[in-house]
Amino acid sequence: MNEVTIVGLLVDVIAFGVLLYLAALGELVAEKAGVLNLGVEGMMAIGGVAAFWSGVQFGSPLVGLIVAGIAAGLLALVHALVAVVLGADQVVSGLALTIFGLGLSAFLGKEYVSLPPVEQFGTLPLGSLRELRIIGPILFDQPWVAWLAAALGFLTWFVLERTRVGLGLRAVGENAATADAAGQSVTVTRVAAVVVGGVLAGFSGAFLVLNLAKGWTEGVTAGRGWIAVALVIFGAWRPGRTAIGALLFGGLLALEPRLQTFGVEVSPILVSMLPYAITIGVLVVFSIQSRHRPSAAPAAIGRAYRREER
Amino acid sequence: MFGLSLAKRDEPLWGGQTRSVLTGVLIALVLGALLLWLNGNDPVEVYLKMAESAFGSKRAISNTLTRAVPLGLAGLAVAVAGSMGLWNIGAEGQIIAGAIAGAWVARVLPDAGGAVLIPLMLIGAVVGGGLLALLPAVARARLGVNEIITTLMLNEIILRVVRYLVNGAWKDPLSLGFPQAPALPAQAALPGLFERSNIGLLIAAAVLAAFGVYSARSKWGYELRLAGSSEKTAQYAGISLKRKIVTVLTLSGAIAGLAGGIELTGSSNRLVEGVANGWGFAGIIVAALALMRPSGVAAVAVAFGAVQVGGLAIQTTGVPSSIASILQALILFGALAAGVFSQYRLVRANSTSMAVASV
Amino acid sequence: MLAVELQGIWKRFPGVIANAGASLAVQAGSVHAVLGENGAGKTTLMNVLAGVYRADEGSVKLYGQERRFSSPADAIGAGVAMVHQEFRLIPTFTVAENVALGASPMMLRKREMEQQVADLADRFGLHTDPGREVWNLSMGERQRVEILKALWRDAKILILDEPTAVLTPDEADELGRIVAAMAADDRSIIFISHKLGEVTRFCDEATVLRGGATVASSLPVETLNAGMLAELMVGESTAVSQRRVRTNPATDTAVLAVENLTVRDLHGIATVDGVSLQVNEGEILGIAGVAGNGQRPLADAVAGLVDTESGSIQLAGEALSGTGPKARIAAGLAYVPEDRLGVGLAPKLTVTENAIIRSYGTTGSGPMVDRAIARDQCESLVDQYNVKIGGVDRPIAGLSGGNLQRLLVGRELATEPKVLIAAQPTRGLDVQGVKAIQDVLVAQAEAGVSILLISEDLDELLALSDRVMVMREGQVTAEFEASQATRALVGAAMAGSAHQEAS
Repeated sequence: MNEVTIVGLLVDVIAFGVLLYLAALGELVAEKAGVLNLGVEGMMAIGGVAAFWSGVQFGSPLVGLIVAGIAAGLLALVHALVAVVLGADQVVSGLALTIFGLGLSAFLGKEYVSLPPVEQFGTLPLGSLRELRIIGPILFDQPWVAWLAAALGFLTWFVLERTRVGLGLRAVGENAATADAAGQSVTVTRVAAVVVGGVLAGFSGAFLVLNLAKGWTEGVTAGRGWIAVALVIFGAWRPGRTAIGALLFGGLLALEPRLQTFGVEVSPILVSMLPYAITIGVLVVFSIQSRHRPSAAPAAIGRAYRREER
Repeated sequence: MFGLSLAKRDEPLWGGQTRSVLTGVLIALVLGALLLWLNGNDPVEVYLKMAESAFGSKRAISNTLTRAVPLGLAGLAVAVAGSMGLWNIGAEGQIIAGAIAGAWVARVLPDAGGAVLIPLMLIGAVVGGGLLALLPAVARARLGVNEIITTLMLNEIILRVVRYLVNGAWKDPLSLGFPQAPALPAQAALPGLFERSNIGLLIAAAVLAAFGVYSARSKWGYELRLAGSSEKTAQYAGISLKRKIVTVLTLSGAIAGLAGGIELTGSSNRLVEGVANGWGFAGIIVAALALMRPSGVAAVAVAFGAVQVGGLAIQTTGVPSSIASILQALILFGALAAGVFSQYRLVRANSTSMAVASV
Repeated sequence: MLAVELQGIWKRFPGVIANAGASLAVQAGSVHAVLGENGAGKTTLMNVLAGVYRADEGSVKLYGQERRFSSPADAIGAGVAMVHQEFRLIPTFTVAENVALGASPMMLRKREMEQQVADLADRFGLHTDPGREVWNLSMGERQRVEILKALWRDAKILILDEPTAVLTPDEADELGRIVAAMAADDRSIIFISHKLGEVTRFCDEATVLRGGATVASSLPVETLNAGMLAELMVGESTAVSQRRVRTNPATDTAVLAVENLTVRDLHGIATVDGVSLQVNEGEILGIAGVAGNGQRPLADAVAGLVDTESGSIQLAGEALSGTGPKARIAAGLAYVPEDRLGVGLAPKLTVTENAIIRSYGTTGSGPMVDRAIARDQCESLVDQYNVKIGGVDRPIAGLSGGNLQRLLVGRELATEPKVLIAAQPTRGLDVQGVKAIQDVLVAQAEAGVSILLISEDLDELLALSDRVMVMREGQVTAEFEASQATRALVGAAMAGSAHQEAS
């Protein structure tokens, strides 16, 4: 192993980490407000196809990101209407959203399959920082979306922990009736959180299609949306811990194709199981801990709320 | 929102769930038509072609029923767990586990006769699906670990197990690099009935009918519904919840495993990565539309089988087959909405709390 | 100056008139007691004032100004806050976060916020640690957080709904001091209660409700006495429950014998702490106590719903310890739990399915439920106990409280038990319902069934029981024969010996 391979690996660790982090951050926001959205996979796919369409039309990755965010946000709005406003079951609605999003993206994207790549997210003009040995390529030569992801992670933490909006959102996710009694509109909060979650999943899909897969194919998401769902649990619903998890799980994704060059005699397919296996392990540990203190999971997750008179 | 809110109706609307599902179908057809029209297709033509290819001939009906088999069994698996309030999101993975176990039986006993091999493969499939569900079942019963996430994660894990097998240890040397296991011995194929249908259809119909009756009429089914209505009440009635959770989730996995076994011996004839083909996820929608009642699963499964067959058939006319997924999801969204509106009605909100909340 | 003036308040719910022209007038800067029996309409009236319900008729005036609230947020905006019996706190939030929720500046500065909450708490003598998460706190501490929430919003009018029900005596005294400090700050406190002792100690004036209407308003508490209050709350003096007269004296064969029973909750706290008791054949043993002093875990432990740490339970000489609920039912135990719709019945299932919860194992010999037998059983319960239902195949959730309880009690008695545990059997029922259930209990005792009666309604206990035991902090602290048990004595024991002289 030489410096080049290691640097190459770490560049990919960050790239895959960013991919997973954006989607997981979106899911985290929705879950913090008490809405489980199992439609991440579908929202990422819609974001991906929207970004590719935009790339073909306008060529600008920034426009692509915005279009992807809007498209996936609109898709998330379906879940918000069905599961939040109408109060139908969140699990079923979310899974249907995945099926719908995968189907719709395939339908809309059929003409884009195996087209050549469109313009990628570029790097920031950081000048000589990019030339630095090792940390230059790993940190400063990354596409600007990586910086955006970091900034969004910090912003999410700040809003959740340090603002009135975040306090209200967390309250809605812990106990909707209490939040309602304190004057926080449960419906508005949850709809907004689900839509924000969709926008972030759309960003993730755009980054996947433009920079990582470098093109659109049906099924391009390949289960990454489920890793994002797992990451939120691994990160114990905290943006910071989720970022560490994103780097870890992203690291596993980056490691997969390289194992053989590193001379490790383990099938990359088996390594690719690890994120899910680790998540099951973490969940078991949380469950054991929650015998002595409240669980890290938002208490009202999965529960619809309707204000009713006696 | 929008100055409107939901108020509970004194009496639910007539027709119950049947009405909701039909409303969902109608909504899906209208929205799907819009999408097809925007895509430059004639929606009526497409729908007619879909209907014809799903029901228009003996062969068409056979195709529809062949797809209804895994959909129905997966739906039943989800519904059995769901009637106790448990979510088995892992039917997709349990189908794969069933197929792996069935294929393993065929590998171990390549020379057994069909009368021995087929039953053993199906039993293996049942055991395989059940085993995969056992871990989430025990974790839920003993530690309270949320089964939604564990079953979901196991889907992804078992998918990689089958990928590993068909790319490695079990790879067919004659497949020219194609990731698939060798074809099963000829005697391992389920005997045919008509056209593409085989006795897997009868097995599935029998299992669905048996569970439909048993869960509605038996003491076991009663305990299930009691536990699904209220865990504390079930405990009060002396039902051991822990044991019930383990048996029901494992049984749920076993039913999905059977679907994998039938798919293996009846259709795919060899272990491939895509053996579950999304049926496990579609089964969740089937079960939700049947309100988790095993007795309602079969009808919804046939309808979804028809949509899928129709979706594949119209590919030849240039319409993407993904229209089938879109329609299935839209039927669910429509039915969920209709279900809510059969119990609630829109009223003008008399609350001004919104204004206060958005200071 | 009147802080609150409610006039002619009517509030109807389907099938129930909760308030029938009730009125209330509270002086600014005073502590005003609202008294009444369960179901007298106190909570509904307060919910109207707090914006939870809208009155069908009547006017709400604050400081002389007419108000109409359409949500709790409206009422809070006008300076009215209510501390409900069920606390509305978020366990994983800190005290400060709970206090500031919905009423904070846009940016939260943690330290600053905690300091502000601490300062506010100090002003009124509320001891609390603003940085602690609420799940760590005792019930008394949680109540102080609720009060802080109201003060944080600068509520001028505070409604405390039976605030002492969950408190230890020391905590109740502290609450009294806090309430006084708030009144001294020119706030008005409405104190809902049905305990005379604390009303005379903590309050200035009292208003009494009965049947949804006001029967006495703004009486100075010095003029109150137990007899008069009972008469106001219950109506004509004959309506005070008469002690039942046994026609068939209890024998002294112990049917249910509990020895040294200890139960711990999830946090390792002994909720039942070395309790021993026995109930003889045909006897009604009453268990008195302030809510949350171990009555519920005791009942659950005897019924086999929770694990016990130590001790033994015997029914007619048969050891029950370690067996599950089914074995105990088979041994002759029946249980009417406190939480009817959450434990005793399954709300989503039909009337028939609920009627066979005890008997489904024997409806039909094979694995199937014989639907004809199930239906017969259901119909005979419905007839015998006069349960009003929409149909045997309709979900049970639509039934009224009284009908639910008739069905539940009937179903339990259909097992022909030797021992019946009845927990809060008449809570929340209308007068007819209460009488029907009490009559059934007495008739069963006369027929030889041993009954463990757990109730927070002291009059009910005194009227029905042959013996009364008092539970406090998980232990049996006193026992009285029916002939010696008086309200004052039992009430004093419930409050703890240190407070005997105060009652």
